Amino acid sequence: MAKLLEVQGLTKKFGGLVAVNDLSFYVEEGEVLGLMGPNGSGKTTVFNIIMGDYPADSGKVFFKGKDISNYSTNQRVRMGIARTYQVPRPFREMTIFEGIRVGSIAPSIVKCLMAGAGAHNAVVTKILESVGLKERLSMYPHELTMGDLRRAELARALTTNPKLVLLDEIFAGLTVAEIEEIDELLRQKIAEGLNFIVVSHDLKALGPLVDRVVVIHFGQCIAVGSFDQIVNDEKVKAAYFG
Amino acid sequence: MANFMVIFAVSWDMMSGYTGYVSFGHPFLIGLAGYVTAILSHQGGFQPPHIVLPLYITIPLGLAVAVGGGMLFFLPSMRVRGPYFSMVSLAFLMIINILTIAVRPDMTGGDRGLSGLPAVVTGLVPNYYFSLGLMFAIAIGLWYVGRSDMGSILKAIRMDEDVVEASGISTYKFKRFAFILSALTAGIGGVFYTHYLGSISPRGAFSTAFLWDIIISAVVGGMGTTIGPMFGGYFLTFILEYLRPYLFGAWRFFAYSAVALFLIVYRPRGFYGIAQDIVNRFQRKRIGVEVYG
Repeated sequence: MAKLLEVQGLTKKFGGLVAVNDLSFYVEEGEVLGLMGPNGSGKTTVFNIIMGDYPADSGKVFFKGKDISNYSTNQRVRMGIARTYQVPRPFREMTIFEGIRVGSIAPSIVKCLMAGAGAHNAVVTKILESVGLKERLSMYPHELTMGDLRRAELARALTTNPKLVLLDEIFAGLTVAEIEEIDELLRQKIAEGLNFIVVSHDLKALGPLVDRVVVIHFGQCIAVGSFDQIVNDEKVKAAYFG
Repeated sequence: MANFMVIFAVSWDMMSGYTGYVSFGHPFLIGLAGYVTAILSHQGGFQPPHIVLPLYITIPLGLAVAVGGGMLFFLPSMRVRGPYFSMVSLAFLMIINILTIAVRPDMTGGDRGLSGLPAVVTGLVPNYYFSLGLMFAIAIGLWYVGRSDMGSILKAIRMDEDVVEASGISTYKFKRFAFILSALTAGIGGVFYTHYLGSISPRGAFSTAFLWDIIISAVVGGMGTTIGPMFGGYFLTFILEYLRPYLFGAWRFFAYSAVALFLIVYRPRGFYGIAQDIVNRFQRKRIGVEVYG
């Protein structure tokens, strides 16, 4: 299968700390990739580099075969990469509907000024319905549970019509029932043809969802394989349990 | 006077209120436009070679310089965020203040500025209606922008710029548009205010007191709303005038600063926020009556 996203030799240093060290991996079309590693192993830094939040010191990022290393974040999103954040970041003074709607606004100044009232509201409503937030449209972020905030994060990512979504700790802070709901939601989206890279500490939730796992430790790749192979890997055990 | 203060407050709000990039350099744009039209239309003439241009040329030139000069000097500072942006914008204000006094005082009038400038409209009443019309035209235009998808993006930038960028929107492009609009409307206010007063000086145009008046008007009225800064501008001007018989000198400014401080601390969304809360409460009561009888 064709590679959808590929990172080659990524390195990122913050002062004396090497957060990502010569890391390479790829995601194929139709694949769900798990990105695992102990706390501070560099998972979120990898996401930030893929999204263009900050540049890598060296290495390249390819998407659909194109080198996007020098693209801005908004260009990468328009190409089809979206993300959710480890700590949900809704627009705090906007209702859920208004906040999610921002992602659906055309990035053109003229279109923005000319758009009539209610433009693309139907699309946003449909996305919010698809993630189970139909009853929460007029609520503000502080009125929502963590589960709903995670759904809103996913909805915001979906409004950009992505091909690949980077999910950062999507199961964190959720109850068992909420994890099951989000898991069901993600499976629906996978069936619809969406690709994911999932970072999660919840191995029980992550295992059945992913096709392949990349494990990083101190910014370096220490293992790649199926979930079952990974959990039995001696290097992975050592990284997690010392 | 109040109408002009409203123009300055809503134009500042377009940039700083909506996007959260608090600019301390707004008088830079206002004064730049004012000085260009003043120098070119001054009786003494642009020296040398003593050219006096008509207002229909000097006013558009003033606007062009406000937008162009603003973009050239000011816009690069939008690459930095938060207090850094505010400090850079304040530096511009300080620099132009010094330059106006020190460089070519024969042209700028130096510390004393320029006076005896031609009027666009003569007479108190016609001037009032002219400035009122100008104010409404600008405020309605900016209000429309604020209500459009553009306004939603600018407000979202204020709340979380990274997330807007991660939504596929070039935040720099939208901030630049807000800045140009802000500079253009500040420039319009600047040129007409200069000709309304008939004079311009660095102490008036580039003073920090003038800057605080603009910011306080917008903040007290309610940032990022356009309508709020309109009320704020009138509130500020009227409170200063009405207090004149009762409080003298600095005490008047102390009184309005105290009111402004109270509102900023206890009602940070300003008058607009207070009005919105009242309407919301009333609506909830009505819904309660409808649901529970």
